[in-house]
Amino acid sequence: MLLIGCLSSRPYGHQRQTVAAVGRGGIGDATLINLLKKAATDRQLRTDLIISLSLAMIAVFFVISGMISFLNVRTLNRNAELVAETHEVLLGLNNIMSLLKDAETGQRGFLLTGEAAYLQPYEEALPAVENQMMALERAMESQPHQVRRLQAMQGHIDSKLAELTRTVDLYRQEGPDAALVVIRRNRGKADMDAMRGLVSDMQDETRSIRQARLVERQEAFVTAFASVLISAVIGVILSVAITWMISRAATLRRRSEWLQSGQAGLSAALLGEQRLDQLARNALIYLAKYTDAHAAAFYAADGSAYKRAATYGVPVDDDLPKNFTRGQGLLGEAVVDGKAMVINNIADSHLTVGAALGQWRPKHVIILPAKSDGVIEAVIELGFLHAYPPATADLLERASEVISVAVRSANYRAALESFLEETQRQSQELQTQSEELRVNNEELEEQSRALKESHVRLEQQQAELEQTNYLLQEQAAQLEVQRDDLSRAKDEVDVKAIELEQSSRYKSDFLANMSHELRTPLNSSLILAKLLSDNTGGNLTEEQVEFARTIQSSGDDLLALINDILDLSKIEAGQMEIHPEPVSLKRLASDLERAFAPVAAQKSLTLITRLGAGVPETVITDRQRLEQVLKNLLSNACKFTEAGSVELAILQDEGRIVFTVKDTGIGISPEHQHLVFDAFRQADGTISRKYGGTGLGLSISRELSRLLGGTLAVASQLGLGSTFSLSLPLANDWSRDELRRDTKVAPPLPAGLPEPLPERPAIPMPRSDVGDDREKLKAGARSILVVEDDPSFARILYDLAHDLDFLCLVAHTAEDAMATAQQYTPSAIVLDVGLPDHSGLSVLDRLKRDVRTRHIPVHVVSAGDYAHTALSLGAVGYMLKPVKREELIDAFKRLEARLDQPMRQILIVEDDEVQRHAMCKLLASQDVECVAVGTAAECLEKLKDQTFDCMVLDLSLPDASGYSLLETLSQEESYAFPPVIVYTGREISYDDEQKLRRYSRSIIIKGAKSPERLLDEVTLFLHQVVAELSPEQQKLLKKAKHRDAMLEGRRILLVEDDVRNVYAVTNIFEPLGAIIAIARNGREALDTLDKTQELPDQAIDLVLMDVMMPEMDGLTAMRKIRENKAWKKLPVIMLTAKAMKDDQERCIAAGANDYMAKPLDVDKLVSLVRVWMPK
Amino acid sequence: MDAKISPDPHRPVGRTDDIEIRLLLEAIFQKYHYDFRGYAMASVKRRLNQARQKFGCATLSALQDRVLHEPELMTELLSFLTVQVSELFRDPQYFRTLREKVIPHLRTYPSLKVWIAGCSTGEELYSFAILFREEGLESRTLFYATDINPEALKKAEAGIYDLDRLKLFTENHRLSGGKSSLSDYYRTAYGAAVFDKSLRKNCVFSDHSLATDAVFAETHLCSCRNVLIYFDCALQDRAIGLFQSSLIRKGFLGLGAKETLRFSRRSEAFSEFARGERLYQKRDLA
Ligand SMILES: C[S@@+](CC[C@H](N)C(=O)[O-])C[C@H]1O[C@@H](n2cnc3c(N)ncnc32)[C@H](O)[C@@H]1O
Repeated sequence: MLLIGCLSSRPYGHQRQTVAAVGRGGIGDATLINLLKKAATDRQLRTDLIISLSLAMIAVFFVISGMISFLNVRTLNRNAELVAETHEVLLGLNNIMSLLKDAETGQRGFLLTGEAAYLQPYEEALPAVENQMMALERAMESQPHQVRRLQAMQGHIDSKLAELTRTVDLYRQEGPDAALVVIRRNRGKADMDAMRGLVSDMQDETRSIRQARLVERQEAFVTAFASVLISAVIGVILSVAITWMISRAATLRRRSEWLQSGQAGLSAALLGEQRLDQLARNALIYLAKYTDAHAAAFYAADGSAYKRAATYGVPVDDDLPKNFTRGQGLLGEAVVDGKAMVINNIADSHLTVGAALGQWRPKHVIILPAKSDGVIEAVIELGFLHAYPPATADLLERASEVISVAVRSANYRAALESFLEETQRQSQELQTQSEELRVNNEELEEQSRALKESHVRLEQQQAELEQTNYLLQEQAAQLEVQRDDLSRAKDEVDVKAIELEQSSRYKSDFLANMSHELRTPLNSSLILAKLLSDNTGGNLTEEQVEFARTIQSSGDDLLALINDILDLSKIEAGQMEIHPEPVSLKRLASDLERAFAPVAAQKSLTLITRLGAGVPETVITDRQRLEQVLKNLLSNACKFTEAGSVELAILQDEGRIVFTVKDTGIGISPEHQHLVFDAFRQADGTISRKYGGTGLGLSISRELSRLLGGTLAVASQLGLGSTFSLSLPLANDWSRDELRRDTKVAPPLPAGLPEPLPERPAIPMPRSDVGDDREKLKAGARSILVVEDDPSFARILYDLAHDLDFLCLVAHTAEDAMATAQQYTPSAIVLDVGLPDHSGLSVLDRLKRDVRTRHIPVHVVSAGDYAHTALSLGAVGYMLKPVKREELIDAFKRLEARLDQPMRQILIVEDDEVQRHAMCKLLASQDVECVAVGTAAECLEKLKDQTFDCMVLDLSLPDASGYSLLETLSQEESYAFPPVIVYTGREISYDDEQKLRRYSRSIIIKGAKSPERLLDEVTLFLHQVVAELSPEQQKLLKKAKHRDAMLEGRRILLVEDDVRNVYAVTNIFEPLGAIIAIARNGREALDTLDKTQELPDQAIDLVLMDVMMPEMDGLTAMRKIRENKAWKKLPVIMLTAKAMKDDQERCIAAGANDYMAKPLDVDKLVSLVRVWMPK
Repeated sequence: MDAKISPDPHRPVGRTDDIEIRLLLEAIFQKYHYDFRGYAMASVKRRLNQARQKFGCATLSALQDRVLHEPELMTELLSFLTVQVSELFRDPQYFRTLREKVIPHLRTYPSLKVWIAGCSTGEELYSFAILFREEGLESRTLFYATDINPEALKKAEAGIYDLDRLKLFTENHRLSGGKSSLSDYYRTAYGAAVFDKSLRKNCVFSDHSLATDAVFAETHLCSCRNVLIYFDCALQDRAIGLFQSSLIRKGFLGLGAKETLRFSRRSEAFSEFARGERLYQKRDLA
């Protein structure tokens, strides 16, 4: 009944469900699952029924076979009894005969002897015979003719016995003869004979009965045996059958369970509003996992064709068809059939299983057209390398409809979505049209009004115009000629300027790159060459050692060249520092003479040094640089002179001191003379190649001379020799200003941003260098992300992570690092700063700004010194390469410790009892504990011996203002200083806000929505790793400060109204030792500059100026600054959000020294400030 | 459909006027750095054709020639390309929702920044200023009013409107739940209404293009109404990206009546705050 009921209700339910699924995805899915469950229950019931029926049959069978056995046993028993009965009859008959004989014998004995003793058997026989006869009668009851015989026998017995009795009586009464007479009548004998005949008849009869009964018994036995045997066989057969049925039922049940959970799982995977490709992918993943398929593909109907919507386990480069049509290939055939297609043991399928290690063709393939309402919406193909679960095809058959319906509703949804998008687009378009229309309308009205007015005026103007026209034409002609001339000249100048700018830019770039890139590898090859040439192993030949020496000396030459280049680039970038000191000229001369005497002697040159008359004892200059110039000149002189002399003379000439180096060498032709000082130009020439040297010496010398405030000139005649003269001012004003100008006189910075390091293009790194655990990663696993572009170091970190039981992910580039961190959210990150695409610091910054990743502790490893920036950006630790293994372990341990965060604690400082309570209620939770205090004193008390993750502070406290409390906390080392959220009832002035922002990142004004925000902010704090600094980190920071001495104590005025930037910039520069003053707009900036101008110890060294600000914008302020004489040289860098070149030009035009585009890049900003910071 | 929304620069377009438009926009960009290349094609086409007629050019190429060689023409062309339509308290319900739902949240911040992008001739700014004054937030708020049309910005800074528009303004103000009389905020003179100078005391007017420029400040609320309708999808996404990075965590974004985030690539970054009124809130994760 139940079954039938279910079945009959099915079509209805099915239809309704389809409609629902199409209409509203979610609800339809639910109905679908219910339906599936019901169908499964039906099948279940059917198998259960079969099992119980067969069990009942077994029971019936055993009862019947028991009964048959019982009957058999009874028959056997009866037969045995009957046989025994015949036995008794035979016995009884014999007995009777022998009893009679006994009686006869007794009688005869008595008759012969007359002794009564002989009568005893006779007397005993009388009752015995009677008994025996009765027994026989009972035994023979059922056989009438036997009974008759028995009765006849009874007659004979009676007469025999009567005769016996008579003879005995006669003997006693009349004596033996009388008795003998009776006997001689022979009646007794006749009776005996008759009896014998009867007995033998009866015995014969009985024997034959017995025979019959025996046969009967035998038969009964055989029957019983046979029936037992038969029932045993049937029993066995039945048991086997039942066992088989039960096991089949179990298999069926397992299979149906498998099918059912498969269907349910599939429906769950298809649940929700999924796009077709998501849906297809989810279906595939689910089915493949569930059926252990190795590869799978999903094709969805698209018009008349089927298009591939997702694949699973198929390599990207597979030749799997992108789409197919009805009847095309196996897939197409399956569509025509409309049924699942199973193909086993195929030689070559188009599906491929791909993994990193190879590709295989699956051996078995199932193709399923997913059909509902007779329409095939999708085709799924599953490929198996091994045998697949037997019910797979069935499962797929059943899944067919679910998938089909899901695909259809996804399609409907997509269509709906695109309709909606189209409508949206149209409504936007309509809106633009209506706006345009309004404008047009207004314009038309305006025009018609204007038209009328102008018409009147037009007449009048016409006349005037005609008059002036003539004049104008004349002028225009003249102007045109002039203009053409001018513009031609200007064009030429422009071209020149561009050329110039370009060449200087190329040079700077070249210098910066080359020197930097070359030094590093060269260093190591020099060291190795040295090791080789030392031949410590003693295993190199003389020649090889010589080679090594050659390598070393060439390397030295190269290094010298690079050093020169570096020098030059330093000077040009204005980074060469000058240390003026009194220099004794006499000593200088003798030192130089001593240095060059050997060289001169070697070439047999005469070396002369001469101090002119009136030359002062000392001159104030940078000794090292002066020596560098003179040494260079002298070594050139020696080099280019084959015979004759080299002379160094020091003379005085009108307040200047002149050093001349004169030789008698090859000389320089007039056309080459102006080139010798030009870096690179000369290097192109042949001179340096012929005589060795870098060719940069003179360029450097000239730049150095300039730095020293002097000039370097050459006079020469080809073949006769050259004279180089260096002229220095006697009294140089080495004041700071002068120096600054000089160092800055160096070539103008190229128009683009001077970059600290040229950005290298992102190099795609093969990840396979170092293996990676991303496949193994499961939720909740401890994992470390190693961001390192050097594969060998990455490998070291990877192994170390494994040693410490972390899974390890490896990223080689900044982009990769970000992506990996966001996708896998590792427990901790070890980050290298020097990455191929971006700086690791930018990664750190982005990590800390992303809510998803900001809680992850990051340890920074770097070859360069960015300790401070890294720590202030929120790194938990910092290591300078090279790193020792122990240090690494230590760092990992620290990260580990971070991970075992205990219960979070919040300190609430609020004087109002009720609110305090309410806040505790609001914030406390399972893993957050609130400690609430009412006064500043209590707060300090708590902070002394406890650390909190976060503190919520009301500003008005009974014993101190919240602000002063914060100040105390920041100054006194003995208190822990957790991140603070200010929670206050009153409004805060801008200045107060700025002050508070130093200590607190978030300030909340109490109001209707404030609890919501408070909870939100607290949650945020608790989830981010607090960047508090450990003592050793602080030490590191101090060290870092000293390293960047350039910014130590320097004052930077930041003119910016955006809190975020103020905060960031302050955080970057304060730790570098710079002092940051803040102005909120142009006017405040001017005020600050004004105020600090008179105070020498507070003078601003550099200004960072935003463009877009309230009250007075950056450009206006910039112009105002330059208007003031005192600030003409004040370096100002403008920060602009505008991307356009002309906007940046506007900054420069307004007087800015440089500009930087927002959003600000930390590294760039720091280096830009370094560049412009006055030395 | 695609081609209508976003002209794909790589796809060859057969029609001459399409080519001309493309070239003209490119020329404008290269010469004047106004980037209209990502604007909705249909609108740009109409605007340019009107401009062409107005300037008496036979073809767009001729117009291009003139624009390139007569810089002063650019100012006028700009007023064709940027449609200046605005009202005080335009769509009053929007401002009502702001007042009722958003302001309570904003009240919890000690200081506020509001960015009105594409402020046109300033009506939207004055609406906000009046609203914030009525709600007592004005003193702690800094407004940034930005637009690419310098003429419009000048008008916005002047705050002078035709008297005959005031009727509509007053009605809108009332419908937006205004708590005071609009006449408190302006004086009339010579057939015009001059809005109170103090309303723009806390306002920075600036030339800023959503098409080319970067974010300049961290803001609590961005209102960009009826600007995105002129953009194609990619440019809309860019602009929304700017708002996203400018807004603080849980900051608010307001769009025009016909604009929506729904189809933007960045829709994930925002949640709908007040559905009917196109008010969105930046999500935590963004
Ligand atoms: C129709 S008005 C909107 C005025 C106001 N927001 C309102 O809804 O009432 C569009 C404004 O967007 C400006 N605009 C167009 N493109 C822009 C861009 N790329 N960046 C900034 N503003 C732009 C136009 O100059 C114009 O002022």
